Amino acid sequence: MIKVIELTKYFGTKQVLNNINMTFLEGKVYGIVGENGAGKTTLFKCIAGLEDYKGEINSDLRPLKNHLGLLLTEPFLFSKITGKEYIQLLCNARKIKIDDIESRNIFDLPLNQYASTYSTGMKKKLSITAILLQVNKYFILDEPFNGVDIQSNIIMTEIIHRLRELNKIVIISSHIFSTLSETCDEIHLLKNGVFIKTVKKEKFSQLETEMREITVENKIEKLKLK
Amino acid sequence: MKEYFILQYKMTNRRLKDFGLEPIFGYLLILASFIGLSLFLFYKTEFAQYIYILISLALTSKLSEIGRNDFLKLCFNGKHYKLVRIIENLTSSMPFLIFLIYKQIFIGSVILTVISLILGLSSFKTSLNFTIPTPFYKKPFEFTVGFRNTFFIFPIAYILTFISISVDNFNLGIFSLLLVFLIPLGFYTKPENEYFVWSFALTPKQFIIEKIKTALQFTSILSLPIILTLCFFYYKNIDVLITSYIIGCVFLITIISAKYSAYPNEMNLPEIIIIAISIFFPPLLLVFTPYFYIKATNKLQEYLV
Repeated sequence: MIKVIELTKYFGTKQVLNNINMTFLEGKVYGIVGENGAGKTTLFKCIAGLEDYKGEINSDLRPLKNHLGLLLTEPFLFSKITGKEYIQLLCNARKIKIDDIESRNIFDLPLNQYASTYSTGMKKKLSITAILLQVNKYFILDEPFNGVDIQSNIIMTEIIHRLRELNKIVIISSHIFSTLSETCDEIHLLKNGVFIKTVKKEKFSQLETEMREITVENKIEKLKLK
Repeated sequence: MKEYFILQYKMTNRRLKDFGLEPIFGYLLILASFIGLSLFLFYKTEFAQYIYILISLALTSKLSEIGRNDFLKLCFNGKHYKLVRIIENLTSSMPFLIFLIYKQIFIGSVILTVISLILGLSSFKTSLNFTIPTPFYKKPFEFTVGFRNTFFIFPIAYILTFISISVDNFNLGIFSLLLVFLIPLGFYTKPENEYFVWSFALTPKQFIIEKIKTALQFTSILSLPIILTLCFFYYKNIDVLITSYIIGCVFLITIISAKYSAYPNEMNLPEIIIIAISIFFPPLLLVFTPYFYIKATNKLQEYLV
């Protein structure tokens, strides 16, 4: 379990997260949606301990960060490290010994090439592979489907289902609603640093319709397209 | 075009400020260091003019990097693009040109000018994409990256050891050993992305000790051929050899500790000054190394538990 209690975060005088309370349970997949700048990445970084904050974040396994697989929106890679070495580095970091990295390369990445030469999607697939091989209990996946090809998105969806079966906690953000509706048990809508809505699986389609209406409003009309 | 160069100037000033220097002092310091190192190079070797031209061209060629040039081509039309690149390259090689003229090396000055102009009209990849094999792949991190960036220097160091034995010059042999220690020191000057520190399931102390162990182990492997060779041929000077090795190791420990004492920022002027002073008086390391180490463990508590 991960329990977030009264989490508040400021950048200077700007409040990014406002009194967030939430509990994440094992065997469940949580979707976090919100516009750019709503506070999703900041929330993830706070849970990971990469940002300081006011409030409390507790977990069954401690320290939380040592059991967390964190996929950042834009994974950072060293200039002269191969894909295989990147995986090795992240496994070394968690004292995980893997002798057959090649056989675990489900995305068919060119592991002996420098990871910095990979495309955006390949970098994401590499990072996902690495955090999966770390054998984490908790996963935060910030935009895991962005920039990744359709075939890999299908694999990604199946991986998330398998993580649920393995009783892991998975928290995902995505701007592609269909990917969330396929994978999540519940979706939380974040706006201006506050969770304004929580929706269970049976009401996902209703949420999508609502989001479409709220987001689009009459904005397209304002463009006066001809 | 004018705006582009003003922007470059502003960016340079910002870098100096980030480094902890007022721009005016930064420029004066760079100028003084440049003149000092140039004089030192020309005093030390008769091949200075060739080394000098090569250094200048190596720096200027960085401006020909293909991605950077693609961006400039998007910003400027053909004529202006070429003009920008020529001005950049001449600005980059100007200090070297002035010094060569001061030294009355006119042919060298002309060659440097011509090649700089040609480089201004060309763009190419400044880094190789093929994977350079490394014996340090089991613990990939800054040492692996650094080794791939500087691998060609180690054979040069080994050749220097060989020459030192051929011409019976022990000091040259010691220099080759120190060179092998000097290069890895550079691997640990840039801070890595916070994600890579955060990822480690180690305490701050365990993290730094692990880093130090890796650095000492890998650097010792690289220096082993030199140490063994010099031990064999200069066994009477084994005390000097061991002392040099230990000093090299202590400097490695210091630089790693200093890096994380400023983390996630780059090392600033105070750290660099302390290390520079220690080069001239190594016993100071006995004070400064623990100081940096304690500061580093405190800094890393933000990322490691």
